[in-house]
Amino acid sequence: MSLRTKLLKWLVIPLVTVNLGAAAVAYWLAWIPAQSAMDQSLADTAWALVPHVQEKGTSVELSLTQQAEQVLRVDHFDEVYFVVRDSHGKTIAGDLDFPELMIPEKFNLYSAYGTRMRGEDVRAISLRTVVGGETILIGVAETRIKRQQIRLRILLSLIALEFLLILLIPAVIWLVLDKGFLPLREIHDDLAQRNPDDLSPLPLTMAPDEIAPFIRGMNDLLKRAQDSARTKQDFLANVAHQLRTPLAGFKAQLEWLQSHYRHDSETAYSVSLMMASTERMARQANQLLALARSEPGDFERRRLEKISLDQLVAESVQQFVDEALKKNIDIGFDLHPTIVAGDRFLLRDLIDNLVDNAIRYSPEGSAVTVSCMVIGDQGVLKVEDEGPGIPASETDRVFSRFYRLDQSQPGSGLGLAIVRDIAKDHHAQIQVGPGAGGKGTEFVVRFPPAV
Amino acid sequence: MPELNMHVLLVEDDLVLADGIARILRGHSMVVDVVNTGDDADRALSSREMSVVVLDIGLPGIDGFEVVRRLRSRGSTVPVLLLTARDDIQDRVRGLEIGADDYLVKPFAAPELVARLKALVRRSNPRPVDLQIGRLQLDPFARRATVDGQVIELSAREWAVLEYLMQNAARVVSKHQIIDAILPWGEEVTLNAVEVYVSRIRSKIASAGLSIKTIRGFGYMLEQANR
Repeated sequence: MSLRTKLLKWLVIPLVTVNLGAAAVAYWLAWIPAQSAMDQSLADTAWALVPHVQEKGTSVELSLTQQAEQVLRVDHFDEVYFVVRDSHGKTIAGDLDFPELMIPEKFNLYSAYGTRMRGEDVRAISLRTVVGGETILIGVAETRIKRQQIRLRILLSLIALEFLLILLIPAVIWLVLDKGFLPLREIHDDLAQRNPDDLSPLPLTMAPDEIAPFIRGMNDLLKRAQDSARTKQDFLANVAHQLRTPLAGFKAQLEWLQSHYRHDSETAYSVSLMMASTERMARQANQLLALARSEPGDFERRRLEKISLDQLVAESVQQFVDEALKKNIDIGFDLHPTIVAGDRFLLRDLIDNLVDNAIRYSPEGSAVTVSCMVIGDQGVLKVEDEGPGIPASETDRVFSRFYRLDQSQPGSGLGLAIVRDIAKDHHAQIQVGPGAGGKGTEFVVRFPPAV
Repeated sequence: MPELNMHVLLVEDDLVLADGIARILRGHSMVVDVVNTGDDADRALSSREMSVVVLDIGLPGIDGFEVVRRLRSRGSTVPVLLLTARDDIQDRVRGLEIGADDYLVKPFAAPELVARLKALVRRSNPRPVDLQIGRLQLDPFARRATVDGQVIELSAREWAVLEYLMQNAARVVSKHQIIDAILPWGEEVTLNAVEVYVSRIRSKIASAGLSIKTIRGFGYMLEQANR
């Protein structure tokens, strides 16, 4: 269950309960004054009768014209009943069947109460007063129609209000929680939009106090992940470095054997196979190193310098030519002065991998051409071959780690992934397509202008 | 005549590599002394004259950098080629700053090591040495090229180009490098002219068991034809 739903549940139930309690109180607060106002009006009727009660000898009597009595009894909604009784309870005037009167504690202060008359619930007041020397009791009652209507109206208004509140409260809580959770969503967005290798800490600036410890915890974790990634990279680089000396020894021994037994064709063949394996191992070790180096985390620690691509290619020409000659490949260059901002070793890895890839996938006797030039304000590196080409559907996948277009070719499947990583580090764009004339493959790397 | 008296001190703690390099260098008629620690290297360099030193950086005891520092502090100018398993720019810069002359990252190709050592010795020792590859022999004193003893007629520029290619046998040299090498005084020679010299040289040494490969758009590489 989401935290938001939980909070909503926790908040809505008590809020609605409190609200219903408040509604009950509001009902009584509205009803009691209304009730007493109507009781007061009954009392007023009683008081209106008092002047008409006259002392007559030892008793009293009510002299009320029919008209006056009608006025007293008039009400739009309710039946109004009254009675005047003496202190013995004898009815002097009014409705004979008026129920027994509740005797108020004090004179001239009415009591209000509910009772029944003629089969209906009625509200009655009783008033005790003195006329002449006689104590009399006056009772006035009315049916409850008006009262029920008022009660109903109060109740309906409150129900409507409650209904509105019950709808509004969750909506408001929802919106408020939404706003409250905004920092969490921002953190989520920050994490979601990252590069897979980006382990930099989250910003603490906008975080509210409740979330700050969480972000700090997260940043600690990121830091540990980063440290561990770095340790892994360092380990990888270290292994790659450690392999170089034994490989160099192996290679040197094989080279000696090669020259020593060059006239013994079987031995020479066997040695050449070992040599090829050794070179492949050396290359794999270099790929591991390049992979460790091209990790963006590591890259950030380096400073970019102005690198001359043409010189960088020229420095590796020997190695390219040696490789190309093994397959009788005509390797050519078209190098124009090209300055880019970059890391020397990474760019060398990029160039090596592209050229190695081209030579690896080119048939014997074909041509590979490496060129660099400035087009517009971009430094451009181009490697063309006359190999089988890459189907358009595969052009994205060739940059995936461990992807190999032709499983029969030896290779780590890392070369182009390294190229992609390094290009990304340098904010360079890579394009893959058929070479000039629609034949072979052309890799084009465009570097942003070196500032 | 091959280079006589090219005396190499090889300092490498990996015994397999040390043995392999020593065999290869001896195969190129060099005299090789092998030591395995920085202290032994320091002692050897204090007592003996060497033509060139091949020095591993990562050594037990004092490291390669320290060996070079001590060597230079004694005023020795013997050329030093550093070997390293690391291709950090810092290592390279540091090595060259304290007085090493060249730098090679393991694993390397034997011809590359041999060529660099020869280049270092040539630079430190202006006395020209005879060059021989296949059946072609260059006599720098007489400025004469012979194949099986028969003199090949070369113009001064052709001779300079051939000498440079021979000095850098089995290595790719760019046309610009050739121009810089044959014209130290800033005379004007076009890239096209270099192509013309090379094509003339090719036809003149066609029978010498050598080939000069064209590296399209870049330069040339002279090597033995049976490679």
